[in-house]
Amino acid sequence: MRSRSANAKVHSHLNRQGRAAHVFLIPWQLGFLLITAVPLFASLYLAFTNYDILNPPEWTGLENFQRMIHDDQFWASVKVTLIYVVVSVPLQLGFALLLALILDRGLSGLAFYRSAFYLPSLLGSSVAIAILWREIFGDDGLINKGLALIGIHGESWLQNPKTALATLIVLNVWTFGSPMVIFLAGLRQIPDELYEAAKVDGAGVWRQFTHVTVPLLTPIIFFNLILQTIGAFQTFTQAHIISGGTGGPANSTLFYTLYVYQQGFVAFDMGYASALAWVLMVAIAVVTALHFLVSKYWVFYGDS
Amino acid sequence: MATLTAGEVISSPAPVRQGRFRSVLKHTGLLVFVAFMIYPLVWMVVSAFKPPEQILTEPGIIPSDLTFENFKEGWHALNRPFSVFFVNSLIVTLGSIAGNLFSCSLTAYALARLQFRMRKVYFAITLASVMLPFHVLVIPQYIFFSQLDLVNTYWPLLIPKFLATDAFFVFLMVQFIRTLPRELDRAAWIDGAGPFLTFWYVVLPLMRPALVTTTIFTFIWTWNDFFVPLIYLTRTKVFTVPVALNSMVDSETQSGVGMLFAMSLLSLVPILIFFAVAQKYLIRGIATTGLK
Amino acid sequence: MDRRGFLKLSLATGLSAATVATAAGCSGGSGGPSGDGGNVTLRYAWWGNNIRQQNYTKALKQFSTANPSIAIEPEFAEYTAFQERMTTQIAARDVPDIFWIASPQVMTYHKSKLYRKLDDIPTLNWGDYSKEDQETFKLAGELNTLPFAIFTPVIRYNETVTKADGVTIPAEGPGWTWDSLAELLIAYSKNNSGQRKGTPYAPDHDLTFEAWLRQRGEQLWTEDGRAGFTVDGLASWLDWWEKLRKAGGALSLSEQEGMGPDWAQVGKKVLVNFGNSNHIIDDAKMFPKEKFRLRAAPIAPTAAAGHKYLYFPRMAIYQRIDDANLEAAGKVLDYNANNPEMLKTVRLTMGAPTNPKVAEQAKAFASPDEKEMLAVVEKERAAERKPRYEAPPGSSTWRTTMTRICEEIALGKTSVPDGAKKLLDDVNAGIKRAA
Repeated sequence: MRSRSANAKVHSHLNRQGRAAHVFLIPWQLGFLLITAVPLFASLYLAFTNYDILNPPEWTGLENFQRMIHDDQFWASVKVTLIYVVVSVPLQLGFALLLALILDRGLSGLAFYRSAFYLPSLLGSSVAIAILWREIFGDDGLINKGLALIGIHGESWLQNPKTALATLIVLNVWTFGSPMVIFLAGLRQIPDELYEAAKVDGAGVWRQFTHVTVPLLTPIIFFNLILQTIGAFQTFTQAHIISGGTGGPANSTLFYTLYVYQQGFVAFDMGYASALAWVLMVAIAVVTALHFLVSKYWVFYGDS
Repeated sequence: MATLTAGEVISSPAPVRQGRFRSVLKHTGLLVFVAFMIYPLVWMVVSAFKPPEQILTEPGIIPSDLTFENFKEGWHALNRPFSVFFVNSLIVTLGSIAGNLFSCSLTAYALARLQFRMRKVYFAITLASVMLPFHVLVIPQYIFFSQLDLVNTYWPLLIPKFLATDAFFVFLMVQFIRTLPRELDRAAWIDGAGPFLTFWYVVLPLMRPALVTTTIFTFIWTWNDFFVPLIYLTRTKVFTVPVALNSMVDSETQSGVGMLFAMSLLSLVPILIFFAVAQKYLIRGIATTGLK
Repeated sequence: MDRRGFLKLSLATGLSAATVATAAGCSGGSGGPSGDGGNVTLRYAWWGNNIRQQNYTKALKQFSTANPSIAIEPEFAEYTAFQERMTTQIAARDVPDIFWIASPQVMTYHKSKLYRKLDDIPTLNWGDYSKEDQETFKLAGELNTLPFAIFTPVIRYNETVTKADGVTIPAEGPGWTWDSLAELLIAYSKNNSGQRKGTPYAPDHDLTFEAWLRQRGEQLWTEDGRAGFTVDGLASWLDWWEKLRKAGGALSLSEQEGMGPDWAQVGKKVLVNFGNSNHIIDDAKMFPKEKFRLRAAPIAPTAAAGHKYLYFPRMAIYQRIDDANLEAAGKVLDYNANNPEMLKTVRLTMGAPTNPKVAEQAKAFASPDEKEMLAVVEKERAAERKPRYEAPPGSSTWRTTMTRICEEIALGKTSVPDGAKKLLDDVNAGIKRAA
């Protein structure tokens, strides 16, 4: 008797939650139907067509996907993007977390530092960045001027295929302000009581860090990791600005989305561009799913 | 403000003399790092005050001539004073902030806390929607809004925000809500509060850092957004700042660089002010904002 | 401010923003076809920098003042952004009534029937143009775009520097050949007071490349929409540059910060530049203390007859324009091409006027740089010219590919014959796909 009524209670409770969820999700569902779903499926359909934007698409089956296999540019862009993701995401997050921790520890002048570190992120996709980067990494840029002082004659870092990608990685790391702000917000979310309790238990700064800060911050670390990874896969604007949309020198900064853009908006080959886009989406989805699987072992949630 | 000091007192190091030495060291280190970080920006500021023909031909950080010409010329470069574009950008930005705070928090609460059948699927869809490169989505979206005759209005920029299409913020808020102890809303449920009251009185107040973060990022991203306004806003009088700035760029001759720098700098001012104000609200949570 | 206050404030600002947005939207009205009472609103789309934006907006306003029943809604953006927007608008069939055409898309748009024919609009007068002129304007036999200006391939040199360094640029004629130019540039780079090089590395400059091809008896594109050049033709051009580059006559990629360098940056490092005739007008302003002069592209001693050519930037009227608006649109085009008043406002940054009468009148108000440009174009225009064809559909990325291959050659990543073959293969594949 008792268990049945308890079941019924849980059940009605869940029903009520389900109904409430649908109310909470009205905006999201509308947005999905009106804004997201149609373009999503339209692009999936276009991936199997030859579509030049001006004329109606023609069905070509798997042709677009077969074309990728023999497309040197495609492979070049895959390589560039993978290197970029693997190198720049950990670097950027490492910087962001380190600085957030330093800044969270009640430093005087906190607001100043926080703003100063955040400044580069504000510039974002400004066209001024291209000119700035030349001023630093160019043939007579700041770095080469520095090298000249110790007798080394440097060439433009942006025009050397071996170093061009590195300058873009530096650019990404330079804008670590965004994840840093999110880390700071996450640190602020940690209740003071937990630190106090840890102190009462005799925990020092290090133990507080490893036993309170890190576990409670893992959901935010996870969040930053997922979104910075997705963002790195999709890097477009910076590469577009700095190489002037070419992905040069010699394809060394031909990011995947830059290639998608070139095919879709420059070559008017929207069918192929859509196919490329879907391949990227599947790749990101796989990586993200892996992240979620692994997250069970290291991310700690307050609600579990 | 009391909460801020409380938070800082707790973590400030105790032994004073050693503390002072370490703090000087720390500040020196940080300042060097700051200098390195913002050098490019300083260069940009200096350039904005140089005569335009010197910016690229004499690119040092110490200017030989100073002038306000770039600002004067830039302000009137597009037939209308630049203030028009600032107002337009502000409208779009504030609208987007309201939209994101409203729709993303509702969505995130449902996805993080309520039990329903499609939860995982919805969450996956939310994430998947940020995985497709923007360039293949823009054309179908444009067709949709142009069919509704909404080109040259701000609706194509605002409606998506009110419909929780910014998955970044939904996911951000989900992660924040999930760090909150479940007991808090359980207690409210036991007290008889339904999901709506729980959301409004318990969860939302505790999410403040996430809401502030969402506000900051929405402000900055919307303020800087270029491609979407470019496509939907074709008349000068509805231009936002980045679209107006674009008209100063000349990919063939680079002739508008001085004005571009000057106006880019001005366009950073509202973001800076906003950031400086908003970050104060990133105050440590539960202990003091309180469970009443 | 507490939490509730913060939320309330943001909600309130959001709501008021939304209200304003509605108001702005409504007051904007729809940019649809025709207004009431015979009034017409036309959308006019073009690209450039802010100076051109201001000048054209002003000129279009002057037009509306003179023709009060025609309002013009300007749609402006920088070149790349302009094309992105056009592409989106074309996909949605929401194209401006009058638009400029970016050179790689001329035939692509033609194939997709974006152009309204222009020979039957009473308000657009073709009387100033000779029959031959009109023939050269046509695309596949149809007069459906309006070439509103002319560029020609030129070598631009810095006269202030040539005088100071005692260099003589040969006069046009038998002494002005590709070989003599190369020699001069190499010799100059080796020994000059300002450590300048002869020229930027610019084998990807399309107009001079086309001049080279035509002198060899080849062409860039054929009448039936194929590549008109051979691997050998392309390789000979790349070879000429390779010799120049290896002998130190051109800037290295590092020195010029990549392909397609900014003139503001390389202008102080070189003696000459390969360019379009109209570029002098904006480029010269960046070095106000120096004087620049133009020479038509050098001529090979073996050059084929009729190798000279003119390049036209074009504008068009959208095929689906409302019939009621057509005459008004014709009037706008007429104002753009056949009326010197417009040029007084917009100046000659887009090149020499196509209309010979207007070109003559323009001399009266042209600046010295503009006069230099007009003189070069006038001479080229008087020369014998075989027809020239526009880039076919599917070839719109050929310049990007060309740039990439020139870059790879300079970086030693590919050889001239391989690069030339790759480019031609790529172009052919693109054209085949679009067919």
